[in-house]
Formats: sequence, structure tokens, C-alpha cells
Amino acid sequence: MSFARPRVPLGLSARITAYPVHTSLIAYRPISTTARRLQAEPVHGHSHVSDTSGHIKSPRGTGSYSAVNEPDKYVDPYKDGPGALDKAANLFFFTEIARGMWLVLEQFFRPPYTIMYPYEKGPLSPRFRGEHALRRYPSGEERCIACKLCEAICPAQAITIESEARLDGSRRTTKYDIDMTKCIYCGFCQEACPVDAIVETQNQEFSTETREELLYNKEKLLANGDRAEAEIAANLHSDHVYR
Amino acid sequence: MVGITRYIRQIRRVGIKEWWHQMQYMGDVKAGTFVGKDQFGNRYFENLNPEDEVPGRHRWVDFAQHDLNATQVPAEWHSWLSHIRKESPLEDKVVQNVSPPWKAPWIENLTGTRGAYRSYNTVKPKIEHWEPKVLARGERSP
Repeated sequence: MSFARPRVPLGLSARITAYPVHTSLIAYRPISTTARRLQAEPVHGHSHVSDTSGHIKSPRGTGSYSAVNEPDKYVDPYKDGPGALDKAANLFFFTEIARGMWLVLEQFFRPPYTIMYPYEKGPLSPRFRGEHALRRYPSGEERCIACKLCEAICPAQAITIESEARLDGSRRTTKYDIDMTKCIYCGFCQEACPVDAIVETQNQEFSTETREELLYNKEKLLANGDRAEAEIAANLHSDHVYR
Repeated sequence: MVGITRYIRQIRRVGIKEWWHQMQYMGDVKAGTFVGKDQFGNRYFENLNPEDEVPGRHRWVDFAQHDLNATQVPAEWHSWLSHIRKESPLEDKVVQNVSPPWKAPWIENLTGTRGAYRSYNTVKPKIEHWEPKVLARGERSP
């Protein structure tokens, strides 16, 4: 049994009993008939509260008038000039210039967010999809087994693969061409690859002067993988729990 | 140049010679801890103090060559410079462990030079030219 529940009505009843209650009518009097409201001056000339009530009132015939009661005293402040909307628009649109220039001035004294590019670089994800590379096993054997899954899934059809059995019987690609001008860098090829052979490295600075240099063949892709293998493997390692 | 006080402070840190060098190349004076130097002589710096460097500009490279190029940064330092790896390749155990012995030397982007990559076919052509064999006079065709 808890003591919290019966305490609430007990406390309330104690407060009610402590309150000075004279009659039951006072307790239920609305706010419009309270004494303070009854002493207020009437807004209208004709009071609907009778004089015999004994309260302090303004004399008959006085009170506040509106423009309806006195039409000759009404003055239109916008009669001869522009309207209130025009004045407000002029004010805000004119000060908008100054406010905008003030914002520019504030930015001028703030440190810029500019990253000075070849010296500093913005952050890249280890999953960034840049230039492609073909990887090798740590033994130096190339990983690609010419399953052509990447060629099949490539939405831009940028990959061309031809394969032959090697002298030792293992099947390897003889042609692995990626047209980097067709590639949309979606990363489906590295997701489709069962042996992590084709990957997209974090290198994004492979722009060329001619279009022909972007038609990568197998030797170029293997060379990309050979020189960046440490970075590729470290990135795969940092993401291996999510793969 | 973030502020005149920072600018003067950095000049006093790096010295006049380094200030002139950085103003010629980077256009800003940056002082930080020397993190390392790669095989090409590019020097890498870091300053994690937000009073000195705006966060995002806290890692930078000072190129060794005058004709500098973003691809002169080798791959391991590229991942450090791009904030992919937290530690530099001199300290990063993961990068050191996965570096294979057959790692090829880093070559910068050679486009526009004679060393530029030129695509070629890696397979034997499917269609061969017809090579006529002319028989000697009086010889019978096989």
C-alpha cells in the first residue's frame, strides 16, 4: 500500500477548508461580475449597469468614442502619402541593402573556409570511389579470375573482359579494359567482385589531356593497383567490419 | 591569411626564409609540427590548434618540386593528407603491415608529357590480314 495516493485528496481538502468560504455563491462567481470588473469605467455611453447598483461610475454622456460616433474628427493618416504597406516595403527593402552589406562585412573579418588545394585537401572517405585499380594477392599473383561479374553489372557497360586459360591451367583475363569516359563511378564493379580484384582507389587526380589516355587497359589497371596497394588494403581493412 | 596577429605570429615561428617560401607557393604562412617526409622530399605538416589553423586546413604538404602537382603525393601520404588515415604512414601500423614487397614506385600523373599513358590492345587481334603467297612459275599449288 502506498501513501502517495490518499495524500492528494487529503491535501486538497485541507486547502479548501483553509480557504475562507462564506457562501457557495461567491465561490462560483464569474470574472465578469467580480468587484474589480464592476468598478471599471463603462466603455459605452449607455451603461447597461443600472445607477442604483451603488458602484462608482462615469457620468452619463461621457466615455470613449470611436470614429463611428464622431465622423468629423476622424483623420486618415495615409490619405495624402503612400500607404502603410508601401512605407514598410520601402523601409525594409532599403535597409536590406545595408543589412546585406553588413553581413558581407562580417564575413570579411571571419577566417575563410577556403582549402588551399594542392597543399591541403578536404576529407575523403575510405569508401571513396575514384580511379580503378586491379589488385594482386600478397604473393604477387593477380586476383582477377575473369568471372566477368563486374562486366555484367556495369550499368555504363564500360568494362570489357576477355579471358584465356594460362599455361598452368588457371583462367585469367587477357583483356581487361575500362573506358573511364563511360564509367559513372558507381562502385558496382568492386561490390560485385568476389575476390576484391577490381577496386576504386581514393585517387581522384587522374585527369588527362587527351581522351585516349582514359581508355585503361589491364596493364594500366594493374600498375595502379601495384603502386597504391598499401592505401587500398588499409582502406579495406578499416572498412572490413561493414563489408 | 586569417588575421594579422596570427600572420605575424606564424612569421615569428617559421622565420623569414620559410615565410618567403610559403608566401611564394601557398600564399599563407602556416606553422605546425613536422610529421614526415616522403621519398620525393615532400614535407608534411600538421597543426591541430584551431587558433592557428581553421579545422580542415590542419594538414598540409610542402612540395619539393617547383612544378608542383597534387599527384606528386604518394598513395600512403595521400590517404593521410586526405584525412582518410589518422596517423601518418610512418606511424600507421596498418599501412605498414599491408604494404607488399612488390609495391611499385609511385609515378605522378604524366599527362601532357612524353611519359603519358597510351592505351593499347592486350590481346591478339581477332581479324588478321590476308597474306597472299605467290607461287613460283611452274610450281603447282598445294
